[in-house]
Amino acid sequence: MKKISERFSEKTNGLLNFADLKKTRFKALYWIMFALLMNFTLACVVPTIWVLSSGLKTTEEMYRIPPTIIPEVFRWEQIPIAWNKISFGKNFLNSLWIILGCLLFDITFNGLAGYVLSRIKPKGSAIVETLVFWSMLLPTISMVPLYITFVDVPLIHVNLLGTFTPMWLIAGANAFNVLLFRSFFNGIPMSYVEAARIDGCSNLGIFRRIILPLSKPIIMVVSIFSITSSWSSFMWPYLVLGSTDKVPVAVRLYELSTKGTTIQDNEMMIITTFSIIPPLIMYMIFSKQIMGGLDMSGIKG
Amino acid sequence: MKKTAGQGAEKKNAGKFFESFKANFSGWMLIVPSLILFILIVWRPIVIGISYSFFELRGVTPAEFVGLENFRQVLADTNFIKTLLNTVKYVFWSLIIGFPMPFIAALMLNEMVNCKGYFKVAMYLPVVIPGMATCLIWKMIYMDGGGGFLNMLLYFFGIGPLNWLSNANLTIPLIVIMMSWHGFGTTLIMYLATMQSINQELYEAARLDGAGFWGRIRHVLIPHMSGTMLLLGIRQIISVFQVTEQPLVMTDGGPNGASTTLGLTGYNYAFRYGQYDKAMALGVISFLILLVLTFIYFYLDKKTQN
Repeated sequence: MKKISERFSEKTNGLLNFADLKKTRFKALYWIMFALLMNFTLACVVPTIWVLSSGLKTTEEMYRIPPTIIPEVFRWEQIPIAWNKISFGKNFLNSLWIILGCLLFDITFNGLAGYVLSRIKPKGSAIVETLVFWSMLLPTISMVPLYITFVDVPLIHVNLLGTFTPMWLIAGANAFNVLLFRSFFNGIPMSYVEAARIDGCSNLGIFRRIILPLSKPIIMVVSIFSITSSWSSFMWPYLVLGSTDKVPVAVRLYELSTKGTTIQDNEMMIITTFSIIPPLIMYMIFSKQIMGGLDMSGIKG
Repeated sequence: MKKTAGQGAEKKNAGKFFESFKANFSGWMLIVPSLILFILIVWRPIVIGISYSFFELRGVTPAEFVGLENFRQVLADTNFIKTLLNTVKYVFWSLIIGFPMPFIAALMLNEMVNCKGYFKVAMYLPVVIPGMATCLIWKMIYMDGGGGFLNMLLYFFGIGPLNWLSNANLTIPLIVIMMSWHGFGTTLIMYLATMQSINQELYEAARLDGAGFWGRIRHVLIPHMSGTMLLLGIRQIISVFQVTEQPLVMTDGGPNGASTTLGLTGYNYAFRYGQYDKAMALGVISFLILLVLTFIYFYLDKKTQN
């Protein structure tokens, strides 16, 4: 660990540099900013921790006056009781199906579209590019037209309500990811593609053998964002699967919070915590990739 | 001799055409599934959303052309103006609460020489928490009576317990605080990335010209950031204008419609009362409003990139 004064004397970037930080008033400013950031950090972290810990209080303690911020006794045994009471495992499994399907559709269709628009560019594909680009800019007209589409899919006339397919289809048409893939593939030299073509590789073969192995970082980033977003998506699963036994975690949470007659507040907190833990673990493992992915997507995200 | 050469060239041309057709065709084959998805999920809904809004629907199929009747009904609803104003209130509060915070935090974070990574990870944390969990967490924070976190804190100051979400004047700002908390980290990281791209020589030049801390913010930082700020600001307006899920979960539009938005009204028309045609007419109205904002965004985006 370097001493803080050493770090001050090495600082050359930003609004305050090493010369400024020799002065007392700028040093004071620095520590004021540090303290303010501490407060921001607390505001970001404390609400979650409060909910996590309050779930372990007894119902009596939750409403006691004077209140206790931190539980007197951590009642860990309440965790499995809450889990079993609502048989939450089923909902986790449903979420898993949604996530896996969305991931597959997201990577396959948006990846292929990005690849074709970037490295093959067949005649007329500029139209597709325009369509994709504008679909990122246009707002949606309520959820009804898409809902109607799922009730009666054009041409094949199938009703997709009560299945996971609508969520997968939505994940497969993500304009932002198409453009993200495209801009990444633009960095893969055209000569690789042409060399493979001379060796007799088909377009799909080039994608499988040349593009995919070089695309691990982008696939990683897209996967992380795809998984976290399908884990937390609520509205479409709710409309499509609502009140069936196929609802994912987010929808079940909502249903419990509205119809929950037998669910106590502290149990609700534990259940909410269950839904936070998987993305939290993802974040702990992949925080570097997540931050990097945000930088990669830049301002257009 | 001449003839054979010509034939050869013709063959070559035909071969070339075939080759290029093959290349184009197999390229198209790979993109057609995506194209179908985009048409099905994005473009067709826009087209049928606009066209069906002029029809009376029976079930999910258009039954009778009614012209502007759906629009008349939506606009004549006594709550329409109130709902529109509510939506504008959401946008207003999000600009007051949610817009400056990430910028200020990014500015300070960019100066840190210690604990920078820790601050960054902690401040991004709320983004990772799923939207539904965020709503429920804040619902418990705002809970009336002694069990809510805010009322607990107030107890130690000898105040309360107060009513929060059930207070019609506070509902919208409280929901906006929750949304700002959730979106804070993403915007912060984006501002931070832009701030790190500022050329250090500009600061040096400003320093030589005798610019102090505020002078450097005003003459170097703000001009460099203004494009990004404008874009993120407009994007925030666009997304807050469509807010549906949060009021649905937090208050269900209450108390007494005080937090209902255009999005939630459309949701209620469609999925509570089964009036799909009215929902689409309302959707078209907000679509047009958002389209104007989107064009502004697009125009500014082009301008800032040049």
